[in-house]
Amino acid sequence: MIVGRREEWTGRLLLVVLMAATLVPFVSLFTTALHPSGSYPSGLDWPSHPRWGNFAAAFRTAHMGALLKSSVLIVLGVVPISLLLATMAGFALGHLRMAGRRLVFLTFVLGLTLPFEGIITPLYYQVRDMGLLNTRWAIILPLIGLFMPFSVFWMRAHFVNMPEELSEGARIDGANVWQLFWRIHVPLAMPAMSSLAILLFLWTWNQFLLAIVLVDDPAKRTMAGALGAFQGQWGTDIPLLCAGSLLILAPTLAVFLVFQRRFVAALLQGSLKG
Amino acid sequence: MARPTLGTAVEPPGAPPRPVAAGSRRPARRRARTSRWVGWLFVAPALLVYAVFVLRPLVLTVEYSLYRWDGIGPSTWVGLDNYVKVFTDPDLVDTILNAVKLIVFFSAIPVLLGLVIASTIRRVAASRLALVARTVLFLPQVIPLVAAGIAWSWLLSSTGLVNQALSRVGLGGVTRAWLGDFSTALPAVGVIGAWVLLGLCTLLFLAGMSKIDPALYEAARIDGAGALREFFSITVASLRQEIAVSVTVTVIAALAAFDIVYISTQGGPGNATMVPGLEIYYLAFSERQVGVASALAVVLVVLVLGCVLPIQWLAKEDSP
Amino acid sequence: MSRRTRACWHRAALAAVALAGSLAACGGPGSGSPQAAGPSTSFAAPPTCGTSPVTLEAYFETGFPIAKALTTEFSKQYPNVAWHIREDQFAVITQNAPRVLADDPPDLMRLPQVSELVKDGLLQNLDPYASAFGWDKWPASQLQQLRLGPGGRPRGEGSLYAMGLNFSMTGVFYNKTLAARIGMTAPPTTLAELDAALAKAKDAGITPITQFNGGATGGLAFPLQDLMASYGPAGPINDWIFQKPGATIDTPSNIRAAQHLERWIKAGYFAGDINAVDYAKMMSRFIGGDGLFMFNGDWESGNLDKQMPGRVGFFLMPPAQQGGPSAAMSAPLTFGISARAKHADCAAFFLNWVATNTAARDIAVDVGGSHPMGPADGHMPAVKAGTVTASTLAAGARIADDNGSMDFIANATGAIYAKSWTPQLQKLDAGQQTPEGLLKSVQKDYESQVGS
Repeated sequence: MIVGRREEWTGRLLLVVLMAATLVPFVSLFTTALHPSGSYPSGLDWPSHPRWGNFAAAFRTAHMGALLKSSVLIVLGVVPISLLLATMAGFALGHLRMAGRRLVFLTFVLGLTLPFEGIITPLYYQVRDMGLLNTRWAIILPLIGLFMPFSVFWMRAHFVNMPEELSEGARIDGANVWQLFWRIHVPLAMPAMSSLAILLFLWTWNQFLLAIVLVDDPAKRTMAGALGAFQGQWGTDIPLLCAGSLLILAPTLAVFLVFQRRFVAALLQGSLKG
Repeated sequence: MARPTLGTAVEPPGAPPRPVAAGSRRPARRRARTSRWVGWLFVAPALLVYAVFVLRPLVLTVEYSLYRWDGIGPSTWVGLDNYVKVFTDPDLVDTILNAVKLIVFFSAIPVLLGLVIASTIRRVAASRLALVARTVLFLPQVIPLVAAGIAWSWLLSSTGLVNQALSRVGLGGVTRAWLGDFSTALPAVGVIGAWVLLGLCTLLFLAGMSKIDPALYEAARIDGAGALREFFSITVASLRQEIAVSVTVTVIAALAAFDIVYISTQGGPGNATMVPGLEIYYLAFSERQVGVASALAVVLVVLVLGCVLPIQWLAKEDSP
Repeated sequence: MSRRTRACWHRAALAAVALAGSLAACGGPGSGSPQAAGPSTSFAAPPTCGTSPVTLEAYFETGFPIAKALTTEFSKQYPNVAWHIREDQFAVITQNAPRVLADDPPDLMRLPQVSELVKDGLLQNLDPYASAFGWDKWPASQLQQLRLGPGGRPRGEGSLYAMGLNFSMTGVFYNKTLAARIGMTAPPTTLAELDAALAKAKDAGITPITQFNGGATGGLAFPLQDLMASYGPAGPINDWIFQKPGATIDTPSNIRAAQHLERWIKAGYFAGDINAVDYAKMMSRFIGGDGLFMFNGDWESGNLDKQMPGRVGFFLMPPAQQGGPSAAMSAPLTFGISARAKHADCAAFFLNWVATNTAARDIAVDVGGSHPMGPADGHMPAVKAGTVTASTLAAGARIADDNGSMDFIANATGAIYAKSWTPQLQKLDAGQQTPEGLLKSVQKDYESQVGS
């Protein structure tokens, strides 16, 4: 491909500028977090005596250990159950020729663009009447429901592409539908399921609205929801708030960096398929 | 967060009937009939959770919007009064207008800028720098929106980095508390959203561009087409699908904005950055006006649909 | 669209309509009646916390250590009582109050404005405790603001629905070092003298007034109300705050006060970015030496004595006329017990303890900086002369003599502060609202909120 030298360098320069613009807020959080607690440092200046202890202080005051545990529990509730339900539904809608599959699929598609604020009010009263208010299930169950349209859409898109011959062969061998599903299709769906799992993990971990409305105790919320409480409680202490924010970002960042290729692929595909 | 959106293929392509192995015709038909109904068993759990936690609240929102209720005592039927309030109360109308204005920042800027940037860095898209960039540019999508809000609130404060940089460049007179000033608060919130979404759009377009046949560009170059011509006729034209997706995702992010506004301005100063999502939260849970909150929620849902469906329809129309 | 899919749409639409119709026919939401917080049984003996282990749920305001200091001391004296405390900024507490009291009730909670909370039956009626513990025998003015008529209106008379952890006094704090720089040796005694001091400070390059006005809390309400009290009597202002029928905030003397505030804004006596400055930032600035005056309350006296020892003074807002009566916002630090609290008796016992126990009263003055509630002859710790705490306590006595204590205009209704005063004051600061328009707009909101 004929690539002009100048174009190549403009491209590189632009990339660097973009990356800098993306990273500046993180750097700013970091340098501010190192300032003495209670001060209002300006801009990006590096403190004369970096207070590394601020991170430990933030960890303690925000009870990050409990927050981490809470978020992990919530993710463990949302992701496996969603995967199972969505894969089963996707299988039925995409592969089995079930009656009325178009209507059911349409019902799920309806929910794809639904903003969570659209249903948060009755959801609050419903969760309260179910006695689940202030428990982790208050976040887990609605999230499973709210992510179902996308999850079903995603898995169905995978199953639609599965050739009929696969199932025919299994049926001839005497397999019933469940065995067909579990033994043959699920293993084949692993790539799609793992991408979906990554997306659901991300969206659950970063879920904010449901956490602050349905759960009062920060120790039972998602980490993002706890950050809201952290800001409410410590928002006046900027360095501590920045340190806390960085600690709360850290798990998703870490998971992202480890799985980056899958992440990026999943997010891009997710947007395209969706 | 990249919200899930409507796909371009709303219905499954009708699969032509497959040839059935001869000799197993009758059992196949019986098995086919069983699987038509067994499917319902597989779908039922998903459908149940969805119906209980999404569909039922959705219907209830519509119901609540027709009543006046404070969430504690009994409710009174008011018919469409709440909707009238939503469309005539200047504060509530402003929230809807603010959401629409945010579309410029959350949607137009990331998409347009993303297109330009992607097409400029397309040529170095395979380099190692670009691979690192892919990771870095994705970071805003990975972190919670509230973290982005906190970081940017700090940057945009009167002693923050933005003002510091402006002073260094000699624009000291322009500095102010961006999020506290009536005229700049909404654009400032928009900047935060643009930062969150720019990386996603850029990468989407880059991914799409990698599918474009380089020969097209070669041919255009040989024909003497300039960079601008190339951009519009080839790049943009081939990225129709990706453009539709990024516009959809970003428009939904703009209209349904909550996290960023909650953490950075709480809707202030005055009503300058109040958006429907946040107003619903305040109306329902602080001011105990569940009916009006629900009416606003219904209007929000309709607004989102009203923006997204035409985009999807436009994108589908010309697809090959 | 194929015919089949069109049929699908039709079927879906029909189903949706049928579902909606059936739900509507079922009657509206919330048909259950609220639990009425009627007067509970009277007590034979004053209730206590008992001896078995008890954990009290509390929801306090962040940044004000007095409540936590008191609970720690209480647990020392009564080891069977443990506390589970949740903290949030005051603006968040205000937002969350109705929801938290209804669905996740704490035993003890820092309260914002209580009128609507009482109307919805969310707060415990404290009359039985008042008679059991003898709160009725305290000076009546202490509890007046916490009494509400049936249905939450009017305030100032009726059953007791909340208690206070101290009652506060407000006025003007000043930085003694900066005052010396402009030659201010004694606090101003008239509004004109205050204006002169402000002008001198501005000329000397000192920020005349450090104030907050950002976020969900418009701090310009402090100087505004002080100016209102300078220009006119405190009585009508209190009537408006207490939701007495026919009360209005849009009066000629209040308009003059608002215009005076606008003159201060236009003269640049406030920093340019106060619409983005929250309470904590204001404190940080003042303590850091930025600003000559600060309109605030004595809940910060303890903090200021610690951070700026000997460098802070306090004076009551001077009247417009020489020798006129003084008035100041003085309100209890309101705490309440949820109507559905699990340990209401123990919480009430704590509140009584705060007002009567010697160690508690010491903490209240030392940490809280303000005057404890309780009997008129209650124990008062010795306060060092020259501290700002001494000044604020002395001012409290003066206000009592002049009968000039007012509640805050921000407390007139549950939403008047966040939805009315704050946006209008922010607009006034930005030059987008006039003083007359400000008062008219607030009065209009007040009438629609009170009428509902």
